[in-house]
Amino acid sequence: MANRTDPLAKNIRGTNPQNLVEKIVRTKIYQHTFWKEQCFGLTAETLVDKAMELDHLGGTFGGNRKPTPFLCLILKMLQIQPEKEIVVEFIKNDDYKYVRILGAFYLRLTGTDVDVYRYLEPLYNDYRKVRQKLSDGRFSLTHVDEVIEELLNKDYSCDIAMPRLKKRWTLEQNGLLEPRKSVLEDDFEEEEEKEENEGIADKSEDEKDHHRKSPERERERDSDRRRDSHRHRDRDYDRDYDMDRDYDRERGRGRERDRERDRDHYRERDRDRERGRDRERDRRDRARRRSRSRSRDRKRNETDDVRDRDEPKKKKEKKMREDGTDHPDPEIAEQNRLRASLGMKPLKM
Amino acid sequence: MIEVVLNDRLGKKVKVKCNEDDTVGDLKKLVAAQTGTRAEKIRIQKWYNIYKNHITLKDYEIHDGMGLELYYN
Repeated sequence: MANRTDPLAKNIRGTNPQNLVEKIVRTKIYQHTFWKEQCFGLTAETLVDKAMELDHLGGTFGGNRKPTPFLCLILKMLQIQPEKEIVVEFIKNDDYKYVRILGAFYLRLTGTDVDVYRYLEPLYNDYRKVRQKLSDGRFSLTHVDEVIEELLNKDYSCDIAMPRLKKRWTLEQNGLLEPRKSVLEDDFEEEEEKEENEGIADKSEDEKDHHRKSPERERERDSDRRRDSHRHRDRDYDRDYDMDRDYDRERGRGRERDRERDRDHYRERDRDRERGRDRERDRRDRARRRSRSRSRDRKRNETDDVRDRDEPKKKKEKKMREDGTDHPDPEIAEQNRLRASLGMKPLKM
Repeated sequence: MIEVVLNDRLGKKVKVKCNEDDTVGDLKKLVAAQTGTRAEKIRIQKWYNIYKNHITLKDYEIHDGMGLELYYN
């Protein structure tokens, strides 16, 4: 009797409003002492008093999944179904943040999409800290706006599956909502103006940065590095810059580089082979070999050459992927794909 | 790689391939992917021993082909 929904209550999403909470969680709440003692015979007014006493939010916790008082009050609200004005009052009140979150949660469960966006988005500006009870019983720190973000974007919170919410841009396109105006928009505009004024002076430096960060640059020779050290200060040792190549070729240094390359004896073997291939890869290989020879044994270098020579022959053999998703057995490959998507290591055969 | 059988005695019986050094939490994620329930809602037991999430299957001595009980929170 105490657990039955108010007979005057409307159906929410086609069903008894209490069914929004799953059967198992609902049963746990009904058996809990907080529900039996404190939530018996609550009305909308007395519910406010109980809500003001809340000091943390959360779903179920512990080995036997005890519900938090927050969750019990949510179920109570679903049972008595307060008016929309009352819920909006809960949200608008500024003094008690847990009452606010309670109202917001209830609205997310029962309100229409437009209402949800309209009433919950202003709560993004509330940065107060709240205490959240995790499922293993510990407390964690979070903020009101983080909770609201979770309510609006995720489909599961506090052990209750949220009803589906239409995306904001769908509602905007249908004209039911205006595009979101952030409270920080004015601050951003001010900052943008400041940056524009300062940005003109820094433009040349930015260009260099752009080149430096590009990953597909070729390797460069030490001599060029030395020559151009005045232009690039903190360089990555392994990168080459197209800018430099063009710069060099313009100044007639390009031909010099080719000649110097021919001169090195261990490259003559490969020169004919490589003429017809991708020049970038050549330069990269050559530079790798070049940089290696500077710091390591010649012997090591020769084995590299042998490996490089065999590499194109083995090009057709497929490389086995690390996470085992291309295992010959399709079942195992599928399992490994699932494990990779969950962030686990592949199956050990 | 071992294969464990999870049965909830109400019609859901799943076989899951996993490593011995996977934790029970990982196993729950795999079961969730196969059955469609959420991983947090699953409880894996053997008689009255509820298996904890952070312990590996090897430490619980779960071997290949062993049957576990599937319950829900």
